[in-house]
Order: sequence, then structure tokens, then C-alpha cells
Amino acid sequence: MFQVNRAYPYIFYLSLITYLFSIFWGLFVTPEDFVQGNSYRIIYLHVPASFISQSLYLAMAIASAVYLIWKVKLSVYLVRSIAPIGAVTTFIALTSGSIWGIPTWGTWWVWDARIVSTLILFIMYLGLISLHDSFNNNEKADKFLSILVLVGSVNIPIIKMSVEWWSTLHQPASITLSEKPAIDLVMLYPLFGSIIGFTGLIACLVILSSKLQIIKREKNKSWVKDYV
Amino acid sequence: MNPLVKAQNLSYKINDKKLFQGISFELLKGKALHIQGENGSGKTTLLRMVCGLTKPSKGNLIIKTDKEVCFIGHKNAIKQYLNIEDNLALMNLNNHQDLQKYLSIFNLEKSLDINIANLSFGQQKKISLLRLFLNSSDLIILDEPCVGLDTNSQEILVDFLKKELANGKGIIYSSHILLDFDADSLGI
Amino acid sequence: MEVIKFEFLKLLKKSRGWLGPILVFVLIMIAYPLTVEVSDIELSQSFFSILWIAALLVTMLATEDIFLEDFNDGVLEQYAILQKSLSFIIGSKVFVYWLVIGVPISIIGSIFCIGTTNQSALGYQILPILLVSTYIFMNVFSFGNALSLTKGSVLGTLVTLPLLLPLLIILGKVVIAINFDLNYLGFLFLLLGILSIIIIIIPMIISYIIRAHLE
Repeated sequence: MFQVNRAYPYIFYLSLITYLFSIFWGLFVTPEDFVQGNSYRIIYLHVPASFISQSLYLAMAIASAVYLIWKVKLSVYLVRSIAPIGAVTTFIALTSGSIWGIPTWGTWWVWDARIVSTLILFIMYLGLISLHDSFNNNEKADKFLSILVLVGSVNIPIIKMSVEWWSTLHQPASITLSEKPAIDLVMLYPLFGSIIGFTGLIACLVILSSKLQIIKREKNKSWVKDYV
Repeated sequence: MNPLVKAQNLSYKINDKKLFQGISFELLKGKALHIQGENGSGKTTLLRMVCGLTKPSKGNLIIKTDKEVCFIGHKNAIKQYLNIEDNLALMNLNNHQDLQKYLSIFNLEKSLDINIANLSFGQQKKISLLRLFLNSSDLIILDEPCVGLDTNSQEILVDFLKKELANGKGIIYSSHILLDFDADSLGI
Repeated sequence: MEVIKFEFLKLLKKSRGWLGPILVFVLIMIAYPLTVEVSDIELSQSFFSILWIAALLVTMLATEDIFLEDFNDGVLEQYAILQKSLSFIIGSKVFVYWLVIGVPISIIGSIFCIGTTNQSALGYQILPILLVSTYIFMNVFSFGNALSLTKGSVLGTLVTLPLLLPLLIILGKVVIAINFDLNYLGFLFLLLGILSIIIIIIPMIISYIIRAHLE
């Protein structure tokens, strides 16, 4: 707890600076896109948000597996604290995507596979939170939360692969590991920067939320009473 | 002598509160054990632990039976919307050789096609106890078996349990109603 | 195999358990053409979406108390004590529910399909797809029912509904594939593959959950 407390301000300010810097760079310095004009700049919010929402679910899945196999209580606290943050991030991804859709595609909602799978991810996050809270915060609830996270993780490959499997309106990935990126380098760097910065900010939120969850769940222990 | 059940230092914690701790006992064949305690002291939890339904928080529990455990708990485990005959078929007791004998002892042989929901509480309890009377297990676990039974049926139950003990089976039970029975005592 | 016989006995005598969902399905299929006053061509195009949605909702309705009554009676406890594996008992329970509810729904659905689209080949091709997908729906919904066994079963079933939406997407593509004579067998094998994984894994997960509930 104490090491995290000491490191926390550094992480926070570093990621805040990175994100603001890349936003500034992206919003004002990079040139206009050939096809889309200025409206593409929402990419600096939309891509990090959707990337984070899927990665948070993967993190929850790994933590749930750790909890079920090795019974580490800390993992399930982590899962419970990530769930609302993941829901908010998915919501940001969905709304920024639909705002981007208006100038680009002419409509703010399309029923194609990737968007629907992300909506399903959002509903899954909400379902996880509601299921866990309907039990009285005991061991049974933790087990069911972990099982549901693991069963629902089948949705993540569907989101990632949906752009390739079905011909959709959403554009395929511009940044892959092996090929030359399809996006111009001038716009690529602020994109990377904003992804890293956003990740850092979300990591700060996760740390704060986990601290709260740990204190809430262990409130009968003596070390909590000394700490608070 | 190999004990049927061997428990060492069992303890159970629920919602960060200890229900009981340090329970140890051994059950040999042909012996009975009576679990005693106040309401809420954990008798049902201990019996369910021996069945394998609940896991102890700490301690060792070793159960060595060849056949399945016969457990009569608080819930009757009979379907309310079926009649007696169908329930017996579900319990796989339809063709047992002693079935007619016990049905006539309990005055149920003429009521085979009555719906369970139309029977009284005591009669439903007797039907669930048929699982005990027609059992083929080594270990019998009873949780308040006499609730709802009239005095006559209680005597029938005690006689039957004495016979089962003579056959070499082990019995663990909890009962607020005192039974005329030769059993060791364990207090929680 | 006795387990399957017992589950049959239990379900068949409880007529509200299986007659209700089948009747609801028939009612939905009948009500749909009444509410849409269009010519025959448009009716057949949007027929399939009603078919999948009706199958989804009716299987959700049918498995709403698949474990609830057994849990409250104490019958589930007795199953858990037996030395037979609880996963097998659960798997056979879902199988019996599918035989009594899912198969009639699939047959009725394909009959309505033949009636609405006037192509009997389409109806015959839809039948195996319906059979497999109702079985998948029932498995996932019984998983949802098991999750909230003690708190009222609707929450769990609703939480698992989003897991089945990708399957609905696939089913939509199947209909397009049938209409253009593309890769129908490929889709059928895809669904069978999903079913084979689900049949093994879901009963194991449900037995883990039920044992956690019984503690």
C-alpha cells in the first residue's frame, strides 16, 4: 500500500503530461486529413478508449483466473474495482465513435459487428457490477464474478476479429505488428502518445479504486484501522 | 478398526465470524453420534460438512464409506406436484422389497396417487424418511429427523436405527427431541 | 441413463413447464404476421429475425426455473451428495429440457418458415440450425439461472443474454448464406463446433456454481 502511495503522484503527473501533450499535438499541430478534414482528430480519444476498454476486460479475465486457481483475494478486489472503470471507458469509446460517425459516415449509429460487440461489452460490464452487488459481498459473489468474467471473455476475440470476419463499415486496424502502418507518421506519433497517456491515467484510476475496494472489504482488520 | 468418519480440529468461518472451532471426533462402524448444541451453534453445518456439501475452513475430515451417504436434512427432497408413487420412482425406491411393509406401517399404502401438496406436514416427512428406511448406505446422517412425527412414528424410527447400528452402520444425528438411543455425545 | 428417465418424468408431468413456452412461441409466430400488413415478399424477409428472437426469448422463459425448484426442494442437495458426477446430471437435465421444449420449437419454427416463405427447401435447411441454436441458448440461459439461484433467477438470465448476441449475428448471416446458396454446411459445422464446446464446459461450470450455492 505504501509503495503505491509513494509512486502514485509520479505516475499521475507523468501520464497527465503525456496525454495532454499528445492531445495538444494532435489537435493543433498535425495537418488536416485528406478525406475527413478536421473531424478525424477525435481519434485521439476514441482509439485509446476502445483499446483500454478491451485491455481492462483482459486484465479482469486474467485476475479472475488467478483468483479461481490460487485463491488470492487481492485479484478479485482488482476485478471488482476495474469493472466500473471499464464500463465508463467503453461508454466513452461508444459515444466518441458515434460522434465521429456523423461527419464521416453521415449517421451516428450503425449496426455493424464491431460496434455491436462493443455495446455487448458495455452491457457485460454493467451485468458484472449488478450481479456482484446483488450478493452481499461475500466469497460466493466473488466466485460468481470471476466465472462470469471468464465466460464473457469470449466476446473479446469477437470484437477484435469482427472487423476481419465480417465486412463492416468500421475500418480495419491501421497499426499492426508486422506491416507498415496505414496511417501517416505525423499522425501516428500523437496517437501512440495519447494511447500511452490514457493508459497511464486509467492506471491511476484503477489504483485509486482498488485502494478503496481493499479498504472497504477488509475494514475489520487491524491494519486498516491503523491506516485510515 | 477403520473409522467411518474421522474429523480433526474442524472449524468453520462465515462472513468473518467463527461458527465453531476445534471439533474433533471419530465414528466407528456400529456406533452413533449425537450432535448437541443451541440453535444456531452450527449443528446443521457440521452435518453438511460430513456429507460433503460444505467445506470446513480449517481442519481435516476423512470419510471412508463404500456406498453413498444417506442424508436426511431439513428439506424433504420430494416434488410437490407429483404423487407418492412418482416420487418413489424418482428416489429409485419403487421396487424395494421392504417398500410395502413401511408404507403399511405409515398408513400410506392406499394413498399412492395422492398429490404430495395435499398431504400433511408429518406425512410428507414420513415419505422423505422412506429414503432412510430403504437405504443401502454405510453412513447415515440425520438432521432433526423427528420434526413433525407423532410418538408412534418416533418409536418406529428409533427401533429402526437400533437395527441399523446392529448391522454395522454408522449414524450421526442431531435432535432436540430426546431419543431413547445409545449414542456418544458431541457438544458444539 | 436412469437420470435422464427421471428428468423426463419430472418435466413431462409438470405441464406448465413445457407447454407454456411452446404455446408462447406459437403465439409469437402467429401474432407477427397479424401485426405487419405487408405483401408476401417483405413478410418473408423479416420473418427470420422474428424467428430467432422468439426462439431466444422462449428458451429464456423455459429455463427460468430449471434449477430453482430442485434447489428449493432439496433435491439438488441429494444430487450433490451422490457419487455420480453432478455435471452429468446437469447436462442430462438441460438435454431433457431441450428435447421437450427445444425440439418442438424448432419443428414449429421450420413449419412456419415453410408457410411464410413458400420454399420448403428453406424450411428443411433451417431445421438443424434451429435445433443446434436452441440447445446453445438453453445451455447459456441455464448457466445464467444457476448464477442467481438464491436471489431470484431473472438477474442471472439477463446477465447472460449479452453473451448470446454474437450468436444472433451469426444466425443472421446463416439466413443470408442460405438465400444465396453459399457455405451453408460451413455455418452448420461452426454452430455444431460451438455446441460441442458448450455442452462439455457449461455443465461443469454450473456444477461448480451449484456446489458454491449449497455451501
